[in-house]
Amino acid sequence: MKNKVSKKKISVEAIGVTKSFGDFQALKGITANIYEGEVVVVFGPSGSGKSTFIRTINGLEEHNSGEITVNGIPLNDDVKNRDAIRGQVGMVFQQFNLFPHLSVLRNITLAPQKVKKLSKSESEKLAMSLLERVGIPEQAKKYPAQLSGGQQQRVAIARALAMQPKIMLFDEPTSALDPEMIKEVLDVMIELAQSGMTMICVTHEMGFAREVADRFLFFDEGLIVEEGTPEHFFNNPKEERTKLFLSQIL
Amino acid sequence: MRILLSRIRENFLGSKLDVILSITGALFIYFILSTLISFILNSDWTLILVNRKLMLTGLMPEEEIWRAWTIFSLTTILMTTSIAFWFKINIKSSIFYILLLLIPLLIFTTKNTLLYVLFIMILSIVFFYLGYRSKNSELKNIVSRIIMISWIILLPICFLILNILDGPKMTLWGGFMINLILAAIAIFAGFPLGILLALGRASSYKLIKLISTLYIEVIRGAPLVAWLLLAWFVLPKFLPNLFGLSDLNIVVRAMIVLSLFASAYIAEVIRGGLQSIPKGQEEASFALGMNSISNTIFIVLPQAIRIVIPTIVSTFIAIFKDTSLVFILAITDLLRIGRLIPEQQQAFFGKSIESLAVVALLFWVVSLVLSQISRTIEKKLNI
Ligand SMILES: Nc1ncnc2c1ncn2[C@@H]1O[C@H](COP(=O)(O)OP(=O)(O)OP(=O)(O)O)[C@@H](O)[C@H]1O
Ligand SMILES: [Mg+2]
Repeated sequence: MKNKVSKKKISVEAIGVTKSFGDFQALKGITANIYEGEVVVVFGPSGSGKSTFIRTINGLEEHNSGEITVNGIPLNDDVKNRDAIRGQVGMVFQQFNLFPHLSVLRNITLAPQKVKKLSKSESEKLAMSLLERVGIPEQAKKYPAQLSGGQQQRVAIARALAMQPKIMLFDEPTSALDPEMIKEVLDVMIELAQSGMTMICVTHEMGFAREVADRFLFFDEGLIVEEGTPEHFFNNPKEERTKLFLSQIL
Repeated sequence: MRILLSRIRENFLGSKLDVILSITGALFIYFILSTLISFILNSDWTLILVNRKLMLTGLMPEEEIWRAWTIFSLTTILMTTSIAFWFKINIKSSIFYILLLLIPLLIFTTKNTLLYVLFIMILSIVFFYLGYRSKNSELKNIVSRIIMISWIILLPICFLILNILDGPKMTLWGGFMINLILAAIAIFAGFPLGILLALGRASSYKLIKLISTLYIEVIRGAPLVAWLLLAWFVLPKFLPNLFGLSDLNIVVRAMIVLSLFASAYIAEVIRGGLQSIPKGQEEASFALGMNSISNTIFIVLPQAIRIVIPTIVSTFIAIFKDTSLVFILAITDLLRIGRLIPEQQQAFFGKSIESLAVVALLFWVVSLVLSQISRTIEKKLNI
């Protein structure tokens, strides 16, 4: 089931984005539009710049040139803009990056309290409803180290959702998980996609991608080599590099 | 008995090497113990009986001793309450703490202070029991908060107790009390300052970073003795009445120097902790929209401090022992008294060993309590 995207309102607009680490150019000019409510899957070989690209969207990596606009806000040197964008963009990391010294509940309530100035009871109510949504309300009092990887990643998703973002970024959310835990995280992501969230997912879970993605972006060596619908990629990809890569992972 | 024998055989007499090691070890222990016991039996401990007041408070007049005992009582009771309440320690470690507490009590108790000892004992036991038993979580939160606040205001209260009702001049403070007070001040002032310096050194603002780094390296670059001497001789000359610094009495100057000195070392320890926090933590809080101040206060610092607790406590212990260097400023701290007794009191001429043994024992007790507490915290936080 795919979202019916009214391909009108642009959520994320990237024009000629480049990023270098020292001499090494990780992004060589990325141009892409992501529309509201769209689920975009980013994939490609290791080191092709997938993580770097989605990290430039919320300013975790500063891009060197090109333009990034998120919901009409340009990402530039103005710290206010960057913070406004971070308020609308949630992110889920490969390594979960939960705060190990805080309980699950506190992991989720901290940012709403400190950034949005929600009260303790408001934020806890919100947190509990999100824990329901990801299916682990009974773990609220535990600490991250006491949870399985799949549960931790679901907490991380709930934590990001607690800031009520309009866009969610996922950077290989299941690749640090044991196989039997991948599904529980993907189920949460599928539910999220179906609820109409705008999502940019770096992932090689092609089953998931086929089910929810509206569009694929294939990255290689810091460029988008090919883009299109899942059908296009599964049936007749154009580029040699895409064919080769797909044959390796499918 | 059989089991015991076979245990012994297994653990101590398993192989030829084991046998040799066991016998050497036993001989060694026998030698140490017999020396120690014959020393304890053959020494004249009236030295302690006569000088206990001097050892506890130095030259403070007799009628002011109640101040020291009140402070001692408050601290002890707060300590036992916190230990029982926060750590839920078991019988074995309770006995350990009680034994340690008995050592200073044995040394310092006189007829006049018996009442205090009773007071300490009874209240400690009552609070310990209450802390150990408390179940209600609402109440627990409140008590926990009260204990926290008590620790924070303990030091100001101690100062109050030392000064109200026409207290003795600060320069008369001495004995073990001055070591404890100096250490407490250095730790309480040096810890927050150390955190700020560590953050400063890790800061991206070049100027702040430079100043913090310079401060830390300069302070650590010279021995404490040098800084104390500087505070004594040089400071008054170079700072003629600026901020009234040249008027400051020697005890306050020692406090300042020790605090500044401690802060530099604490800063380096905490910096190590800061560096060990994975980058992902900061990224997660930034991605959630938190600013770097929130990130530092709620995410990075708490984790960094947890990691370095053992090292920080080692630093605290080192600072505590370093307070014995203030004899250079002619402050009559415990060590100085320990050296003066056999020199100046005819009855105890030449009894340096007895005198210094008591001094060492007292320092040892406090250090041991500190390291034990740190070990318990470590276990509790499971790091
Ligand atoms: N902080 C950094 N410093 C230096 N080089 C970096 C840094 N981050 C990424 N790179 C380099 O940039 C390139 C792209 O990295 P990126 O993490 O975006 O790749 P990726 O497509 O996400 O790969 P993977 O599938 O392995 O996660 C890689 O060659 C990487 O070594
Ligand atoms: Mg990556």
